[in-house]
Amino acid sequence: MGKILCATRGGEASYRTQDAAIALARERGDSLIFLYVVDTHFLDRTERAVRPDVVAEEMARMGQFLLTMAQERAQAQGVQAEVRIRRGEVLEELKAAAREEGADLVILGRPGEEESAFRQVDLEAVAREIEEETGVETRIV
Amino acid sequence: MFLLTVSAILLVGALPQPTWAAEGAALAGRVVDFQQQPVRRARIALYLNGEEEPYVEGESQRDGTFVLDLPDEPVDAVRLEISHPHFRTATWKATWADLERLNDGSAVRLPDIVLERQLTVGFWIATLTFLAVLLFIATERLHSTMAALLGTAVILGISLVGRPINEQLFIIDFEQAIEYVDFNVVFLVMGMMIVIGVIEETGIFQWMAYQAYRLSQGRVWLLVASLMLLTSVASALLDNVTTMLLVAPITLQIALTLGIDPLALLMPEVLASNVGGISTLIGTPTNILIGSYADITFNDFLVNLTPGVLLAQVALTVYVLLVYRKQYRAASAAASPALLAQLEENARITQPDKLRKAGSVFLGIIVLFILGEQFHLVPAVTAILGAVAMLLVVRADIEQMLRVVDWTTLMFFIALFIVVGAVQEVGLISYIAAGIRLLVGDNLIAATLVVVWAGAILSGVIANIPFTAAMLPVVGFLTRSLPGASNKVLFYSLSIGAAMGGNSSLIGASANIVTAGIAERAGYPITYRTFLKIGLPAMAITVTVGTAWLFIHF
Repeated sequence: MGKILCATRGGEASYRTQDAAIALARERGDSLIFLYVVDTHFLDRTERAVRPDVVAEEMARMGQFLLTMAQERAQAQGVQAEVRIRRGEVLEELKAAAREEGADLVILGRPGEEESAFRQVDLEAVAREIEEETGVETRIV
Repeated sequence: MFLLTVSAILLVGALPQPTWAAEGAALAGRVVDFQQQPVRRARIALYLNGEEEPYVEGESQRDGTFVLDLPDEPVDAVRLEISHPHFRTATWKATWADLERLNDGSAVRLPDIVLERQLTVGFWIATLTFLAVLLFIATERLHSTMAALLGTAVILGISLVGRPINEQLFIIDFEQAIEYVDFNVVFLVMGMMIVIGVIEETGIFQWMAYQAYRLSQGRVWLLVASLMLLTSVASALLDNVTTMLLVAPITLQIALTLGIDPLALLMPEVLASNVGGISTLIGTPTNILIGSYADITFNDFLVNLTPGVLLAQVALTVYVLLVYRKQYRAASAAASPALLAQLEENARITQPDKLRKAGSVFLGIIVLFILGEQFHLVPAVTAILGAVAMLLVVRADIEQMLRVVDWTTLMFFIALFIVVGAVQEVGLISYIAAGIRLLVGDNLIAATLVVVWAGAILSGVIANIPFTAAMLPVVGFLTRSLPGASNKVLFYSLSIGAAMGGNSSLIGASANIVTAGIAERAGYPITYRTFLKIGLPAMAITVTVGTAWLFIHF
């Protein structure tokens, strides 16, 4: 039995990715892990004083909530999913998670029409980088 | 101890400084620019009896005054040459009557010496540097602190290296630059960082947002109004960026629990937070700048702006309820027990004991802000005293709490003051002030409209902190020169324009940017266009109400 790692957030674009990952896990009989990465780099864009540690904690709670939603989505489709939260830069944490979890497949969501953590044009390069550095197959769905 | 020492320094700094006095034969006068503003550091050379070398040289003080002593021996001719790198050199010659008085050993008080500005190469360098800093910040090509530091480096570097080559390259020297730094602002911001740093880890904001959800019992309009009120009040008492950073994640979860688009709750909240902060001195950084420059107290902001802010909030609430009515109608209570439990867990007060202590101290700080003006306690000292009290009562780890102080932000303010000081020194600000004065004539209503709406529109395009910092001397000039403006209505206009104007675009306020950051990490990006579509009309509505309030109140 293999292991699928699906990086997720929330919103319509992520729901499509989650559904694709759930369908693949059911089809292949693999276990499924949803991953949310707490990335507070957007705080660099403000000149105001903030506490990154407190913000990161709040975002981790929000991530837990979003992962619970993803878990329920999987459960509704007959798949048991585990969830993980990591803190740091998204791509680096994704690669680290793929290695540490022993994933066989990483699922990345194609960004929606709106802005995304990964721009559409960069997505292929990101997938390639994950594959080259971790040796884990990476698919864009 | 460090903070207590700082408090003592600030208290001493608040005491009146001694003025100049002359004994014996002397020339005393004041150097001003064409707006009757004192010109400091003008070089005044005293020539006697037609000699080519000056007998004595001096410099005008901060208030533009100077005093030069003459020799005890009688003199036949006295001439002053007044020069400054950014002004044309002026000359003054003593009349027979002046000479008679001087030879009698008396002091002669000269009429104000008005210097005429000149556009030097330094003027253009300072102006372009200032514009580049604004551009770098607006386009996010550089971190705002880096942009301001780069501007400071360019200005001081060119002044230092260029002056020996060509006097025209001089902009400002280091001593002058430091004089432009408003340490009242720096220490007030620093003190409040520590105070907020303790409070924000208690979980109080999240708990209050959850209570709004619980008490609204599915009535979304009530939830929206409650969340807007919460963010507005919290923004006024703490600051809007912190408020949004703490409230946005839990709001997002509440929206998902209700099955509505999270932006339908986040947008009203962030709009309300930008408006609510205007109520107090500490609510927005622009108010901190304005309050310090114009000596507007915590109570002044409360009395003169809070009613207007409340009216604007009512109008804003009606507007968002109309705009998002479809999303609100679609709300459902379909969340699973697991999600509801998760929401409740995420909204609990994490450190109740610390909250009790920190809450009491914070209440004391607010009381001190309100009563402090009775005994001339400057806001920076109140904030520092509050920070010390907070650290002592809560027994916070001092190392950790000093790490809470965002030195990057403080450096941003210091560098920004220097850059703005440079454009003030070379005369750019004077020209802008004179232009506006020409435009509005003696009409205070026109001036109010210009300050409010120029502030509101420009704040959506360029960052409102550097904009406000640059506008302060302009508004100061208008306040001094316009009939009826002495009640500081134009400073309140700037406060309303700069803060409410932040609602017009995504980059208009830091609270917008951090809210968009959180929403994006949850998969609900707020694009520039999305924000503009909702925010621009909101800005127009609230600024209109704010302007109406100014006209009614003043």
